[in-house]
Amino acid sequence: MKTSSGVFTDTSGNHCVQGVPFINDILRYDSLSIVGLEKNTGKTECLKYVLDRLPLQDKRIAVTSIGIDGETVDQVTRTQKPEIVLREGMYFGTSETHYRQRRLVSELIDVSDESTSLGRVVTAKAITGGKILLSGPSSASSLRRWMGEMQHRFDIDLVIIDGALSRMSSASPAVSQSMILATGAAYSVNINTLVSKTAHVVDLINLDMTSSPNLQTLSPLEKGLWFIDKDGALHSLDAMTSLSKDIHFEGMDGCETLYVAGALVDGFLEKVRKNKSLKQVELVVRDFTKIFVTPQQFRLFLKAGGRIRVLQKSKLIAVTVNPTSPSGYVLDSDILCGKLSEAIGLPVYDLLKNNHQCN
Amino acid sequence: MQLKNVIESPCGLRFMLDQLELQSGFARRWLLDLPMMTRGEEIAAAYDELHRFTSFVEQVDKTRLDTLLFRLQGLKDIRTTIKNLHNKAVLDDIELFEVKHLAILATDVNTLLARHDMADVVEIPALDEVITILDPDGMKMATFYIYDSYCAQLKDLRAQIRQHPDHQDDLMLQASELEETVRQDLSRQLHLFAAAIEQALLALARIDVDLAKALQMRQMGMTFPTLTDDGTTRLEAMFHPQVQQALSTRGREFQPVDIAFGHRPTLITGANMGGKTVVLKTLTLCQYLFQFGFGIPAAKAQIAVKDEIYFCIGDDQSVEKGLSSFAAEMQNIDAVIKASRENKKLLALIDEPARTTNPTEGAALVTALLQVLADKDMSLVMTTHYDIESGKARCLRVKGFENGSMDYRLVEVQDGEVPHEALNIAQSLGIDSEWITTARKLLESAVQHV
Repeated sequence: MKTSSGVFTDTSGNHCVQGVPFINDILRYDSLSIVGLEKNTGKTECLKYVLDRLPLQDKRIAVTSIGIDGETVDQVTRTQKPEIVLREGMYFGTSETHYRQRRLVSELIDVSDESTSLGRVVTAKAITGGKILLSGPSSASSLRRWMGEMQHRFDIDLVIIDGALSRMSSASPAVSQSMILATGAAYSVNINTLVSKTAHVVDLINLDMTSSPNLQTLSPLEKGLWFIDKDGALHSLDAMTSLSKDIHFEGMDGCETLYVAGALVDGFLEKVRKNKSLKQVELVVRDFTKIFVTPQQFRLFLKAGGRIRVLQKSKLIAVTVNPTSPSGYVLDSDILCGKLSEAIGLPVYDLLKNNHQCN
Repeated sequence: MQLKNVIESPCGLRFMLDQLELQSGFARRWLLDLPMMTRGEEIAAAYDELHRFTSFVEQVDKTRLDTLLFRLQGLKDIRTTIKNLHNKAVLDDIELFEVKHLAILATDVNTLLARHDMADVVEIPALDEVITILDPDGMKMATFYIYDSYCAQLKDLRAQIRQHPDHQDDLMLQASELEETVRQDLSRQLHLFAAAIEQALLALARIDVDLAKALQMRQMGMTFPTLTDDGTTRLEAMFHPQVQQALSTRGREFQPVDIAFGHRPTLITGANMGGKTVVLKTLTLCQYLFQFGFGIPAAKAQIAVKDEIYFCIGDDQSVEKGLSSFAAEMQNIDAVIKASRENKKLLALIDEPARTTNPTEGAALVTALLQVLADKDMSLVMTTHYDIESGKARCLRVKGFENGSMDYRLVEVQDGEVPHEALNIAQSLGIDSEWITTARKLLESAVQHV
């Protein structure tokens, strides 16, 4: 609750000084995803930070993860991976397997029909605070369904998604209204490289949405290449993906929208750029996670007057950094935050260093 | 034989199932596992039950019906949990939640149906005691955990956990032991209700299916059949919903067909594109729908119960298994002949047998087939293009091509003489005139030759 002195009180009576980074920004949206650019970029730390500080007395919060996540030890780098600590009253979605391993008292409110490799997704409310491993819906449609259920059936105000940026999972964090991006030395140990690589991803996240008529036409298409002619009619290109060698842009004269339902790759972007008849075309992808083009090709495309738009967009609220790489190499946090913030025009935080603790 | 074994029959049963608006995945699985009914009383009872649901669907206001359908969406397949309960296993929280969820759902659905005097149609056992066991605080919510009120000691421990987060691990361990004792106790109590819970689960699936069938009947304009015991089947204005839908998307209408048959073999002849195959498909579909208790796509239906149904159609999928179309067809018809010797009530629907071989041998095979099957205790409906001796068979003919359009109705004719309309039809299709004219000349010279 906000008091006159600009102080937040959480349920346990602890005070959080107003001005802790981005908590107020998060509360403006009904969903948030926290996305790590690489393992060990501090995504889980960021999630902890957010969960510790959200005011629970007048907000119902639910949290889940996409894909298999939440192992106590990271399977790839063998580094320690903390369980998530939930506070009393928070809702969460996790797999049956992880639900059985929970270390809190919680009330089951739903068991889904959809199965993941760790069993069905169960939804519960924390009766006491405690630890839980998160592993939620693994497909795009089941994640959307889960979020909808949370908002409409259980009156949840804010859904938080621990969003792995994985090509293995079809669930995309871009279904959320807002987003926090975690980057760090695990992504690159060279500050300049890290800044430019992160800035590229930020550019992709910030791509504009396409116009609403396009949204309605294109949203149901899960795969393939499509274009909309000037009369608004939808056509399919023969090639199944943008990876195909053999793509002919025939019959596309005067068309205004070209939609790539799957991955967008360098070669395809180059073909579109070099095709004279596609000068006016707006290239549309589902969301930023589907774009696998190098910064160079991306810039060339924009420079030549090309436009890329998305069907789903999250508002990027902030970027967090973890200056420590899994191998132990540590970057200078202040220099990193400063350079990155300048490059992307957004606040950048090192949550561990600044130790924004509230209790 | 279960519904899932015949779902891919080329008669179009799959379409009917796909169009059936079931609320739960469990009801669909339950329905596909149902065996085909072969006793008249059983089928009559199923239609009596469905009758109650069609009246209910007519009378109930839309909001109430939608509420009921929405509630049924919550039906989950918890057979594994029920099996564990039967086996006296200790259920975990998720399983206890499932049992409570089902018990509340069953009670709600029963209350909704009882308001319309429908509680006696499909009996749902009362599970109030199950709810009481799993809802110690009387919250009437479909949620579950090991509530504080199950155990005073547990309640104290949890209070301590909240106060001393530093000793949490130790206290949690003690609490989880107490929770397990509660689960053991709950599972023991619930074991007595395992059979009732299972019965409720199946009853809800059945209600879901009955409601979906009733709504489908209304939506597709289908009818209730009457059962005949003299082996005759009579269908008036029957139609094939899938073909009807396909036609209507092209702006065309399905012309309903009347047909009746008994033990005497029925031979259908008629021009190409005269809808003979569709007649057989529709008959097969109607028979299956009848024996699985669905509405019948016809204005009026009197149907005889059969033990087995055979639908032999030329373009069989066994071609993909490496058999030639002729071999596949011969084997299918062979199965009919073998079954006809086993004293079972059969319905065989055979589409243009021996169509892919030379006309001389083909005609001989078809004539012989009619003779072999004529005296058997079965209903046989067969189509052909061959000019054959119809023998004891009753002959029906598609009215055919008149004034530039096709009349699909069937008329009874004295013998099986096949119509000679192929060239006219081909011409109306705009097929190359040199080809058709040459064929006409050949035919004329053949006639003069005779």
